[in-house]
Amino acid sequence: MAVINGILKTDLNGFILKNPVMTASGTFGYANEYNDFIDVENLGAIVTKAISLLPREGNKHIRIVETKAGMINSIGLENVGIEKFLSDKVPVLNANNIEFIVNIAGSTVEEYTNLAKICSSNNIKAIELNVSCPNVKTGCLEFGTDDKSLYELVSAVRNEYKGFLMVKLTPNVTSIESIGIAAEKAGADAVSAINTLKGTSIKLNIVNGKFYKTIVQGGYSGAGIKPVAINAVSRLSKVLNIPIVGIGGIEILEDILEFFAAGAEAVQIGTANFTHPDISQNLVFELEEYIVKNGFNDLTELKKELRA
Amino acid sequence: MIKEKSKKIHKAKVARIEKVSANSYLIEIEGEISQEIKAGQFISIYCENLTFRRPFSVFSHNSGKIGILFKERGKGTKYIKSLKKDDLIDITGVFGNGFNIENKKSLLIGAGIGAAPISFLKSKLNEKNIENLFIAGFLNKNEIPSCIKADIAYTDDGSYGRKGSVITDIENIIKDYKPEIIYVCGPEIVLKTLSRIGEKYNIETQIAVEKVMACSIGVCRGCVISVRKDGNIVNAAVCKDGPVFSGSEVVWQ
Ligand SMILES: Cc1cc2nc3c(=O)[nH]c(=O)nc-3n(C[C@H](O)[C@H](O)[C@H](O)COP(=O)(O)OP(=O)(O)OC[C@H]3O[C@@H](n4cnc5c(N)ncnc54)[C@H](O)[C@@H]3O)c2cc1C
Ligand SMILES: Cc1cc2nc3c(=O)[nH]c(=O)nc-3n(C[C@H](O)[C@H](O)[C@H](O)COP(=O)(O)O)c2cc1C
Ligand code: FES
Repeated sequence: MAVINGILKTDLNGFILKNPVMTASGTFGYANEYNDFIDVENLGAIVTKAISLLPREGNKHIRIVETKAGMINSIGLENVGIEKFLSDKVPVLNANNIEFIVNIAGSTVEEYTNLAKICSSNNIKAIELNVSCPNVKTGCLEFGTDDKSLYELVSAVRNEYKGFLMVKLTPNVTSIESIGIAAEKAGADAVSAINTLKGTSIKLNIVNGKFYKTIVQGGYSGAGIKPVAINAVSRLSKVLNIPIVGIGGIEILEDILEFFAAGAEAVQIGTANFTHPDISQNLVFELEEYIVKNGFNDLTELKKELRA
Repeated sequence: MIKEKSKKIHKAKVARIEKVSANSYLIEIEGEISQEIKAGQFISIYCENLTFRRPFSVFSHNSGKIGILFKERGKGTKYIKSLKKDDLIDITGVFGNGFNIENKKSLLIGAGIGAAPISFLKSKLNEKNIENLFIAGFLNKNEIPSCIKADIAYTDDGSYGRKGSVITDIENIIKDYKPEIIYVCGPEIVLKTLSRIGEKYNIETQIAVEKVMACSIGVCRGCVISVRKDGNIVNAAVCKDGPVFSGSEVVWQ
């Protein structure tokens, strides 16, 4: 089966995808790593691992732990840096016809704007701002948790970058609406929601009456976070005019339909790629089959019915 | 456009499953994997309701069947042990670098279930007529899988073979046997000890490292360890750059 007749075509504010299924940052590498399992070009787009100006080594302690319905990660943004991404990965993406969005991360506004400039001068079509990073200037507060910092950041990036600009929202806030509105006002073309929730895992081991603890603090993702993500998308869809890309706990076709019903125009699949490395491609095919089988003309009509 | 079906994800069939010790099982999977598999390479098994696939070294590979020797630990291995002949099993792989076999007098050390890939390595060395000595160690007699045939066996309680662990008398064994290379799989303490001893006696060591894994293909960066490379300390993914490393390159935490 092939995605031929364009019924899954997805328009994100002028950024046109062949289908609405993308893979989430940090779960899919930089390029064609999953070609061992699927044909990555069949996906709407992949979002790269977060890329910073300079390569980063990431965290030292235990980085991943499985939870009842997902996982906690504390990778610490290990990545190859923008230079190596452009020289080594972009040619592979292009040679394999893979549509991609570059997820960028920084710790100051200047780092983000420098990254945006570099992306712009290298004709990168789309970027996603990872704003779940601490803002060094204001201390430990993340850019994405404060509407003023976020507005400042997105405006600065918008000035440097004319391509498709998506802002990835963190759920670790009181009012995701005010953060989404700040992104829209600052000129974002779309928002994606959600990044990981804050989570901590404590594993206990008792030896001779003494407890040994393995503690992992980081970002919680996977099936367990879907209700939080659907809630975020629903709330955002009531206040935003720009498209919303839904992320969080997607594992099966019904999950995607629920995100559409909540107001998402497209989705990203994260943790589930680890469990089933062919899942994102399977979901593209299942979505197409579902539309045809239920007699809808195309994805646009399906979404309309889901929201009626 | 869909091209040729990928080679690294398979819905395979269980050809055989058998209890081979008090707490370990041998499962044979009818794989479509025809490529040559190196000892130390692994597959990852999807276990119902669990987010992470569980990685297991290949224990045997004959006439299209892949054998895995595993010890029951938690939910994942409980699920695998519950499978029956002809059940479907969802596997990905083969992954990892595997041991790099050299034509040198070889000492093989497998502690606990670490004996599984080492046993596979022994059969490869035997095929190539490379002289080797395989030392395996277990907690007690009941835990020794019937499919493991070691040259020297240890049990912690002395209920079978020599009393102690694979490292109890290792320096004397090395002095007597004079290996040119040592291959090891087992708990970190065993890997560490043998890496150190290898350096002391100036013998090359290849050690198979274990880490909890999410993706198995080097993208999630969840399984990284620190290694020395060209004078720098850098990250290496156990799943992709390993699981086999030179004992001298690993930086222990
Ligand atoms: C490259 C490699 C090869 C391995 N080969 C074998 C083998 O041949 N035979 C064998 O019995 N075991 C092997 N293991 C260990 C095996 O993966 C674990 O025993 C198994 O994952 C435990 O799953 P569980 O759900 O039963 O236990 P859990 O309750 O999940 O955990 C028990 C212990 O297993 C380890 N573990 C859990 N999840 C993972 C994971 N995703 N990856 C790695 N370790 C994990 C942890 O140390 C944990 O403390 C190998 C591990 C690696 C990394
Ligand atoms: C191992 C791992 C690494 C991640 N790395 C990033 C990252 O670099 N940048 C980012 O914006 N999000 C990152 N995320 C968050 C995901 O992109 C996604 O927002 C989140 O996992 C929720 O989706 P899911 O439940 O489908 O996994 C990461 C998630 C995981 C599990
Ligand atoms: S398990 Fe993901 S990098 Fe090794």
